[in-house]
Amino acid sequence: MGQILRLSNISKTFPGVRALQGISLDLNEGEVHCLCGENGAGKSTLIKILSGAYQPDEGGEIFFDGKKASLSPRVAIERGIQTIYQEHIVFENLSVVENIFAGLEIKRGLFLDRKEMRRRTVEVLEYLKSRLDPDARMRDLSSGEQKVVEIAKGLVFKRRAIILDEPTASFSATEIENLLDIISTVKRNGIGFIYISHHLEEVFRIGDRVTVIRDGRVVGEHAMAGLTKSRLIKDMVGRDPSTFYQRDRVEPGELVFEARGVSGNGIRDLSFGLRRGEILGFAGMAGSGRSELMNVLFGSARLERGEILIRGRRVRHGNPKAAIRNKMCFITEDRQATGLFLPQTIAQNVAAANLVNIRSLVIRPSDEIRRGDEFVERLRIKTRDSTVLASTLSGGNQQKVVLAKWFNTNGEIYIFDEPTHGIDVGSKQEIYKIMVELLRQGKAIIMVSSDMPEVVSMSDRVIVLKAGRLSAELRREEITEENILSYSIGDSKI
Amino acid sequence: MIQPVAAGRKSGSKASLFKRHENLMPLSIFAGFILVIVSLQLFTQGFSKFPTFISPVNILNILQQVGVPGIVAVGMTLIMLSGGIDLSVGMLASLVSIVTASGITTWHLGVPASIAAGILVAVLLETLMGLIISRTKVEPFIITLGGMITFQGIALLVSNSREVILDGELNFLKVNLIQGAKDPATGLNLILPPYVLIFLLIVLLAGLVLTFTKFGRRIYAVGTNPQAAYLAGINVKNMRLSVYVIMGFLVGIGAVMLLARVNTGIISLGQNLEIDTIAMVVIGGTALKGGKGNILGTLIGVFFLGSIGNAMNMLRLPSEVQFVAKGLVVIVAITAGDISSKVSDYMTRRRDQSLARGDLATEGGGGGTE
Repeated sequence: MGQILRLSNISKTFPGVRALQGISLDLNEGEVHCLCGENGAGKSTLIKILSGAYQPDEGGEIFFDGKKASLSPRVAIERGIQTIYQEHIVFENLSVVENIFAGLEIKRGLFLDRKEMRRRTVEVLEYLKSRLDPDARMRDLSSGEQKVVEIAKGLVFKRRAIILDEPTASFSATEIENLLDIISTVKRNGIGFIYISHHLEEVFRIGDRVTVIRDGRVVGEHAMAGLTKSRLIKDMVGRDPSTFYQRDRVEPGELVFEARGVSGNGIRDLSFGLRRGEILGFAGMAGSGRSELMNVLFGSARLERGEILIRGRRVRHGNPKAAIRNKMCFITEDRQATGLFLPQTIAQNVAAANLVNIRSLVIRPSDEIRRGDEFVERLRIKTRDSTVLASTLSGGNQQKVVLAKWFNTNGEIYIFDEPTHGIDVGSKQEIYKIMVELLRQGKAIIMVSSDMPEVVSMSDRVIVLKAGRLSAELRREEITEENILSYSIGDSKI
Repeated sequence: MIQPVAAGRKSGSKASLFKRHENLMPLSIFAGFILVIVSLQLFTQGFSKFPTFISPVNILNILQQVGVPGIVAVGMTLIMLSGGIDLSVGMLASLVSIVTASGITTWHLGVPASIAAGILVAVLLETLMGLIISRTKVEPFIITLGGMITFQGIALLVSNSREVILDGELNFLKVNLIQGAKDPATGLNLILPPYVLIFLLIVLLAGLVLTFTKFGRRIYAVGTNPQAAYLAGINVKNMRLSVYVIMGFLVGIGAVMLLARVNTGIISLGQNLEIDTIAMVVIGGTALKGGKGNILGTLIGVFFLGSIGNAMNMLRLPSEVQFVAKGLVVIVAITAGDISSKVSDYMTRRRDQSLARGDLATEGGGGGTE
């Protein structure tokens, strides 16, 4: 078994963040090398280095067939590395054949050699025992079938290495089986796979080797044979909890929010309660349905079954407007796409959600600016005043504008979806302080987070979701990284 | 380089909620345009004569010409601020004029009922398009394009492809409100018909609504980021619908005014109205993608586009040149607006970032000692 590629001492620094530190990794012919790690461990950055999209920092070396190489996206493809990203980058309106040959068409004279392209596609699809129609349009295929097309492309062009980033997200069980079978077939041709997945079952089924990454470093490399799940999970967690943020505790008050048998938007039969002065954390892997659940709770996705009670009264908020009237607030995960009005001023952003509660017809812009300035001062938003455009602020300050928008509604039940995503360390701590301050005022917080230290340090209780269902509910003393991770990817505690 | 920035910050008097400087670019281009025309007139006709372009009689003349497109441009501003567009207004205006004229002459409904019928038709048709646009994901461009073609067909069917001539029944809409007033410069009669006042009233009302009401604030929110607007409790669908309903009402009023002016309901009445009004709105700095712009800008755009033809006449240039000039004005205004906003964005960003960085640096130093 020859070595296809080897990374040695790869680091990658972004302004303010060290995404990777001294990573070494190699891939042999005909092997499936799995990469494991929590959300944000650095897997995606590593893939982008392999595909040539990012250049590693000084000192890192990449060897291809034993020779040193520097990768650009084009060189990577020429060398035979194919990256299949989590989000499909396909031409939806083109056929399977056209997608495989997009940009690399076979020509005869001036014209495309359709026959030859189709012949080669059919050949590979038959080899893979796939029943895909080569003339089907991509958009008519399921995401599982689309992945098969991309792997077929690797075979058609005799690629040497295929990188798969979370390929089975949104797959059905049979699609997963099918994909794993195809990978086993393809690897017999000497093609090496780098396989990234949250799903340990998949890793144990097709992996030959596994490398665990945590906080941008390699923490372990194991041969799959003889490895146990608990050993792998131990590798993935294992931070020192004393280094986590220490928050002040608040005595929980009365029950203010309750979900009973909530189903819809991919969530099945979930029940929980929330008290004043309490942070209820929601953990789980990407795709476990956490944000989907939050949308159901906030009325921005349909509640199919079950009921929601606020301060003991059953509510039926079919839209965010009603939810805001019921004193709910939703700090969404993607603040730029769904939280902010970027080309507008801070004052306008702050005023936006509270329009629901304003009875009077007339609004004075000067009042809004005064209100905006108050929040700029209170939340210490670093800017001149509230007439500055939201688009000119840094991530942390933008997040504070989103918070101000909700504080302005006088809400009581806060949903924080990834409260500190993409925010520098200093602003992170400020936001934690603000959250604790909310608890002191008797508000209640539901927090979704993929940042493990954040979940462990901030939550009073944690609900772990897996595939849209409750996997475990952890009490204060049970909240450890290890518990959360094993209930996220392993067995449920029921 | 540092000096003016620092000075700017110090003198940084409370900027208004809506960035008034957005209007500076169209306004300065317009001012430049007037300056060119006036000086051309002075040079060609001698300095002893008053430049007729800025004489009261001519300004009123321009106002008469832009009154109706101006009313529609107000509606177009609301729609474009919310992220939409309406290509159907021209043919809809023609349809309204034909319905109203037919109501008076052939259906004998009487003048008030005919006017009401015309406006009602416009509101209904715009509401229909608004319902489709707000309830589905189709492009407003396509739906209103389809509307434009359909309305043209309906108008031709209603009028049997003929013009409907009035007998001056709507003359009360073009009476001179300042009968007897004379232009001090030229001695010509000054004319101020009611629809000019109505236009100015609508502009004022729309400006107030956009700045001082919940409704106005929501239009901006929906146009800027519909997803965030929805999650902030705004009924995005109804907002999108309402701007089209308003447009229907404004087109109805505008078309009746137009009919009063020419005394004839005819398919060519609203021709190019959509193009002119969209041009007026974009010259005024309103963005096609929504959320950016205001009524004051539109008012400038309305006057700007309206005075081009007038100025060409004054300079005795052939009318064909008008189109070239109008087109160039749109291109120049938009390009200059984009360049200037890039420059000012860059300046504010640099200033704000250096401000933020300065604060962060001092704070980081304090935090590090913990």
